[in-house]
Amino acid sequence: MDMDMDMDIPLPEELDLLESNARLLEDYPDPEAPEPYPYEDQEAPPAAQPPSSPDLQFDSEIQVIGQKRSRSVSPNGSLSETAELSEEKRCRTDESARATDEDWLRYSPPKGNESVVVEQGSFVREKMLSRYASEIDGECMPITAPNGDRVYARLDRLEGEERMKKLDVRANSDGLILEPINILFEKMDQEAFTKTLEASSKCQNVPDIPETPIVHEQLWVDKYTPNSFTELLSDEHTNRQVLLWLKQWDSSVFGSEICSTSDEVLSSLKRHSTVVQNQKPLDSKFQRTIGGPKWSNHRYRNSKSMDESGSSKSFQDILTRKVKHTGPPEQKILLLCGPPGLGKTTLAHVAARHCGYHVVEVNASDDRSTSTIESKILNVVEMNSIMSDSRPQCLVMDEIDGALSDGKGAVEVLLKMVSVEKKSDAGKENLVKERSGRRSSKKGHKKASLSRPVICICNDLYAPALRPLRQVAKVHIFVQPTVSRVVSRLKYICTREGMKVNAIALTALAEYTECDIRSCLNTLQFLNKKKEAVNVFDIGSQVVGRKDMSKNVLDIWKEVFQRKKAKAERKSHNSKPFEVNSLYSLVSSRGDYDLILDGIHENILQLNYHDPVMQKTVKCLNSLGVSDLLHQYIMRTQQNPLLVYLPPTAITVHQLVAQIQKPNIEWPRSYQRHRTMMAEKMDILNTWHYKIPPYIARNLSASSFVEDLISPLLYILSPPTIKPVALQLLSDKEKNDLAQLVSTMVSYSVTYKNMKSDMVPNSLRHEVADHLTLSFDPPICEFINFKDYTSNHYVLAPAVKQILVHEVEKQKILQVSIDRPLGNGSSSERPEFIEAGTSNAQSSKINHADAISVKNIQNESNVTKGRKNNANATIVSQNSHPRKGTADNMKLQNTGRMRMPSSGSFFDRFRKLNNKGFRSDDRTEQKEATLDKALHPLLFKFNEGFTNAVKRPVRIREFLL
Amino acid sequence: MLWVDKYRPKTLDQITVHEDVAQNLKKLVTEQDCPHLLFYGPPGAGKKTLIMALLRQMFGNSAEKVKVENRTWKVDAGSRSIDIELTTLASANHIEMSPSDAGFQDRYVVQEIIKEMAKNRPIDTKGKKGFKVLLLNEVDKLSREAQHSLRRTMEKYSAYCRLILCCNSSSRVIEAIRSRCLNVRINAPNEEQIVRALDFISKKEDLQLPSGFAARIAEKSNRNLRRAILSLETCRVQQYPFSSKQTIPPMDWEEYISEIASDIMKEQSPKRLFQVRGKLYELLINCIPPEIILKRLLYELLKKLDAELKLEVCHWAAYYEHRMRLGQKAIFHLEAFVAKFMSVYKAFLIATFG
Repeated sequence: MDMDMDMDIPLPEELDLLESNARLLEDYPDPEAPEPYPYEDQEAPPAAQPPSSPDLQFDSEIQVIGQKRSRSVSPNGSLSETAELSEEKRCRTDESARATDEDWLRYSPPKGNESVVVEQGSFVREKMLSRYASEIDGECMPITAPNGDRVYARLDRLEGEERMKKLDVRANSDGLILEPINILFEKMDQEAFTKTLEASSKCQNVPDIPETPIVHEQLWVDKYTPNSFTELLSDEHTNRQVLLWLKQWDSSVFGSEICSTSDEVLSSLKRHSTVVQNQKPLDSKFQRTIGGPKWSNHRYRNSKSMDESGSSKSFQDILTRKVKHTGPPEQKILLLCGPPGLGKTTLAHVAARHCGYHVVEVNASDDRSTSTIESKILNVVEMNSIMSDSRPQCLVMDEIDGALSDGKGAVEVLLKMVSVEKKSDAGKENLVKERSGRRSSKKGHKKASLSRPVICICNDLYAPALRPLRQVAKVHIFVQPTVSRVVSRLKYICTREGMKVNAIALTALAEYTECDIRSCLNTLQFLNKKKEAVNVFDIGSQVVGRKDMSKNVLDIWKEVFQRKKAKAERKSHNSKPFEVNSLYSLVSSRGDYDLILDGIHENILQLNYHDPVMQKTVKCLNSLGVSDLLHQYIMRTQQNPLLVYLPPTAITVHQLVAQIQKPNIEWPRSYQRHRTMMAEKMDILNTWHYKIPPYIARNLSASSFVEDLISPLLYILSPPTIKPVALQLLSDKEKNDLAQLVSTMVSYSVTYKNMKSDMVPNSLRHEVADHLTLSFDPPICEFINFKDYTSNHYVLAPAVKQILVHEVEKQKILQVSIDRPLGNGSSSERPEFIEAGTSNAQSSKINHADAISVKNIQNESNVTKGRKNNANATIVSQNSHPRKGTADNMKLQNTGRMRMPSSGSFFDRFRKLNNKGFRSDDRTEQKEATLDKALHPLLFKFNEGFTNAVKRPVRIREFLL
Repeated sequence: MLWVDKYRPKTLDQITVHEDVAQNLKKLVTEQDCPHLLFYGPPGAGKKTLIMALLRQMFGNSAEKVKVENRTWKVDAGSRSIDIELTTLASANHIEMSPSDAGFQDRYVVQEIIKEMAKNRPIDTKGKKGFKVLLLNEVDKLSREAQHSLRRTMEKYSAYCRLILCCNSSSRVIEAIRSRCLNVRINAPNEEQIVRALDFISKKEDLQLPSGFAARIAEKSNRNLRRAILSLETCRVQQYPFSSKQTIPPMDWEEYISEIASDIMKEQSPKRLFQVRGKLYELLINCIPPEIILKRLLYELLKKLDAELKLEVCHWAAYYEHRMRLGQKAIFHLEAFVAKFMSVYKAFLIATFG
């Protein structure tokens, strides 16, 4: 509406000024592209000259004003159109009239108006015009058709007078903004029509009705698309930024001649980028860059430029100081992003046209494979050199985030071009300064670089395909236009369409659609079709469809935790139920309840709500608990219809704890973290469980591990009494303890491990003890490693750990060698090994029974002793339960005895290393040892395992076969 | 080797704690007719020990000779086939497993694997061992569906297969199964019995055990024999000879929970609740079952509470534990309990002290 005001108010007092403007406007030649309008030079003087009185001039002027809203840019020579239109009432040229008719149909002037015009065009076509001025009696004026034909039209005096009267009416009605303009126009034209009927001798009463509905059918969205920069609804700042960016291209695209003005514009744009709309910078350059002059705006612009000229003087000093800006802007790509319906595409088109570009649009419906895009961009870039007459092109890549694979191709091409540009920039810094040189140099390049502005449009800035583009492009994020702005525009359109709405309803509509102008207009048109007056209830109710908005989860949590300000709440009249509804639809349209509830749970305690007795907290947590139960129930029984009862949890929480201040939302990580870590630990437990021999493990469940076992085990495994001294120095009792400890470690398959290195635990044996961090191998320590908890477990000295590792390894190896022949009878795949093992066992038995002492090799005996001991231990523990007591005692005895020779010395460690790889060398050693033994015939009883199965005397050589 | 394992009774005759049960079982087995058995009782009461001894009684030494087998089973479940990994312990005459390890697929374990095992008649049917035994652990963790599919198996193959079920609580075993089994309740040993067991061990180990000290260990062990013996060994490692004033090292997680409890008692606010949440997460991460956490937390809180609040707090603990079992995210319910407690306690404080 304010736009109307702007245009209407100056009318009466600036009439003469306007007149001169009109002439000036028509006089103005387009320096860039004069070709399409070859007749304007001939045309303009007559238009001003004809022997008509000033009132006629006014007349045409008014006409111009009246229709400016409805006209859009005509693609063909618009100045000629201007001329035609300004004289539409008087001149009936066959061709031109038809042409104009068509134009009108296409460009939809207000409804009543144009139907009349059509009729006029069709019926009054006699004697009104002629090839020669002499054939017309009375006043006449020349008209040139687009094809160059020149005719003279008779001027109707009566009509002109009639118009004079109406001009007065109009001038009076200026203040009444709410009065529908088109109704006035309609009346006016109706009167003019009747007058003309009377005046003309013949009349054809065949109005062209059938064509009108087509015009009606046009979507309002298209019909009222902003055609000029000033009509844009989007955020002013963004608009200006975009314009500024486009302007920066001027110097490189249009050449140096406009540089000075461009500078001025740029500076003023920068200056005024936050100032209100009316201060739009305008100067002569604008006229040039406007490719198709939108005639509806000309007067306005010119008048504005008059105003501006004064203020622009103030920039003179800036101008003089300013270094000439040459070359395209830093970032060669502009990326516009924002939710749908805010007018991104419109802005791109309008701004590009405004700056004198021809818009080439590539959208999701086009083929956007790499090759196609490349050729398209090349076309855009090269166009100027081929067709010098046409305006430079500007590429608008719409919906670039839409199709992933294709969009990616497009993005890749763009990136490639940008990078080429950068390289060439670096290489030819000097050439860039000089534009002509640059152009020629570019021809030399194999790869095309970006020399025309490219505007990319997307909805989701953070689409993965756009990631690389984000870094090189200048990004503008669209914000919602203010409601009042949208409403005023809507109101204007409604008035235009003769629809009765009140501002409140429009406000509600705008809020409802979140300022999506497109959906607002569609809704309005729909309601208009139903011939219903729009009221608030309509919009609130289901009559008006609502966009199915699925919001970001973070936004949803924000909505849940943030209460709208009291003011805003009042504004959306029906706060509570409305709030509940919106929250419900918000949550349910998002779907992912599990995540949403997790997020609520995660963040709820961080909120700053007043809750003295924790009532609210309890309620919230209870409702979360209920939702968990419900969720579990749904999952188990697959009763998916019950899912609708999950979102109310969010509503409850919102009602209870929502605060006005902005919540600090965190992504719910802790629950997932707890899940994964628990799974990890469970894994550790399970593997540990499997490693423990079954006769112990079977008595434990995973939970009893953590509940009962681990804490005591940690104490038991690190007794403070053990001294870090060489084993030889230990007393018998201490050795006994050590032996017991080792057997415990072995039976629970716990060992120490160097945590820093990833090598096998055994390998650390020969490393120096000092800088090793030995910790338990199944990391059982971690099970009591709670946050903020210090356990008072004693940690053994590294040296002791070392000894333990060593001992445990030894034990394990021995056990393996024993277990093989005993445990599984299926291990016959290695007969030699069994043999060795058995002989070992035998030898241990020998030792045990004190039947004989094999002393051939000192080392060998050491090993065998160790073996024996362990063998004994395992055999006893596993198999000879009835004789448990004695066996145990014996074992203990043996352990005590065994430690003496086998442990402590460094040499011994070395031997253990041998042991480790004992599959090979130790076995051979073993063999030779047994061979030695075989020299003395031995007799012994072989109690194989638990069953005492073998009871016959066996000779050792029988095993050696 | 830990004392727990070392002095575990191996035969029914050696069992001291549940002597009467052991004798009854012995009679049962010697009469050659063994029904299905369901052992239930709290952890550390001696269920497994009894079962092992029973198996030994049935099959002699061969029951001790077990083989661990970790095997992947291919199960045909309608349209698709599922791979189930299961660890079994098998001797010639019995198979032992925890079907609940398969998680939500435990139904297939019961339907396919157990059935198959039950079907296979033991080879040496000549003579006394006419049946084999399937030992199923943690039956109470089986899903309802799995338990239902177990019913028929129990009847159908009862001629040559006996099931021994073992669980903590019979309330989570369906009625149908309970009625098919001889239910054997193994209650936790009382403190006297624990002291006796400890005495027995210390005699074997040649330790001087002051009587008061044994009683203290028994008291702290929460009537859990395993824990008592482990504590004894811990004390032995920490300090020997024993003094009756010696500290008995606590379980770390219990210690942590009591820290939480004192946190809760100190301050009741959402902020504090948030801290508590972090600690509860810590406990859960370390595989401590949420039910145990709740129980212990209640225990610690009750220690510090006024008598008149105890009833209400217990009520709420039960309420939230029930919800926890129904639901999935234990932390929600644990936290809800803490919040409820805070609310109740704070209201109480305000009412008392104004």
